[in-house]
Amino acid sequence: MLPFSLYFVTAVVTGFHMYALLSVVVYGVPLNPLELVSWLGSFCLLVAAYVSLFRPRAAARVALIACLAMWCFYAPATANFVRAKRDKAPAVSQWMRPPAGAARDTSWRIETACL
Amino acid sequence: MLLPYLAIVLLAVVTLYSAVVSFRQKPDGEPAAPGWVFPDAPKRTARIFVGVATLLLAIGLGAWFKINGSSVSPNSIPRSWRFLIPEGYRGWVRVEFEIPGAPPLPAQAGQIVLKIPPTGLLRTSSSEQYGWAEDDYVFYASGGLQPIPDSGAGKLIWGKINNSEHSGSSGKRSYEEFFVGTQQQFKDQAEQSRPNDSPKESHVPAAVP
Repeated sequence: MLPFSLYFVTAVVTGFHMYALLSVVVYGVPLNPLELVSWLGSFCLLVAAYVSLFRPRAAARVALIACLAMWCFYAPATANFVRAKRDKAPAVSQWMRPPAGAARDTSWRIETACL
Repeated sequence: MLLPYLAIVLLAVVTLYSAVVSFRQKPDGEPAAPGWVFPDAPKRTARIFVGVATLLLAIGLGAWFKINGSSVSPNSIPRSWRFLIPEGYRGWVRVEFEIPGAPPLPAQAGQIVLKIPPTGLLRTSSSEQYGWAEDDYVFYASGGLQPIPDSGAGKLIWGKINNSEHSGSSGKRSYEEFFVGTQQQFKDQAEQSRPNDSPKESHVPAAVP
């Protein structure tokens, strides 16, 4: 029952996530075809869950293909998310002490956003 | 907000699991023996249990959709609105909902009728309706009704908004506003009202001459 539970829960969670993302199309947001591919992958994973009750090995292959289809959307989305987090400029400029030998009342401003 | 993270984690786990199950073999090429993590096909009782659970789930979902669907269709309050606007009116129309003491909105032929007075401000005790609906806009005069185009090149309905605001006496109230006029009139009106966008309390729509 472990493969069935795993595939079923993942299919429901990813399918609902895709449904939530696709539903904003009604507000005029452009449709992303990768979301449709990923949604199809969720459906295939649901099919794999039921196939796993009879043929676990064949179901695993179907599930693998479904997962690869879903990664078409999730991999770029995750990469964009990580990149946006990493490249986010700090809200304020950073200040640091002057290097040794510089005048004592000199402060060095580093605009991190420009680096 | 937790859903995307959960989806990615589960997806990673299933990808790894299905890849291992698909290609797992003993060194001599024989398929590996079944275990707890990589079990063989479940027994007949487990299959029956899953089948019954799926059937119950499908029945439950069907009943839920039927109950929710019937609550918005024939016997309930219609969502579609018919705005009756005085002929020749140009300017903002505002409908304020849930105003104590104001008359409720009547329903006619499956539509809620909102007869806008010449001032452009309609107050009603009825609640605002949310959801999918196609509203009608009509000019009314002594001669009869004339439909107002709300899409296409000659549309006369602009800037429709639904919102809620805090009023001093009655707490939070919801309202709906839209502009009746040509695109040029709408733009002119927007430019005129841009410098002072403060007065929300006792807001009365101004008609364009």
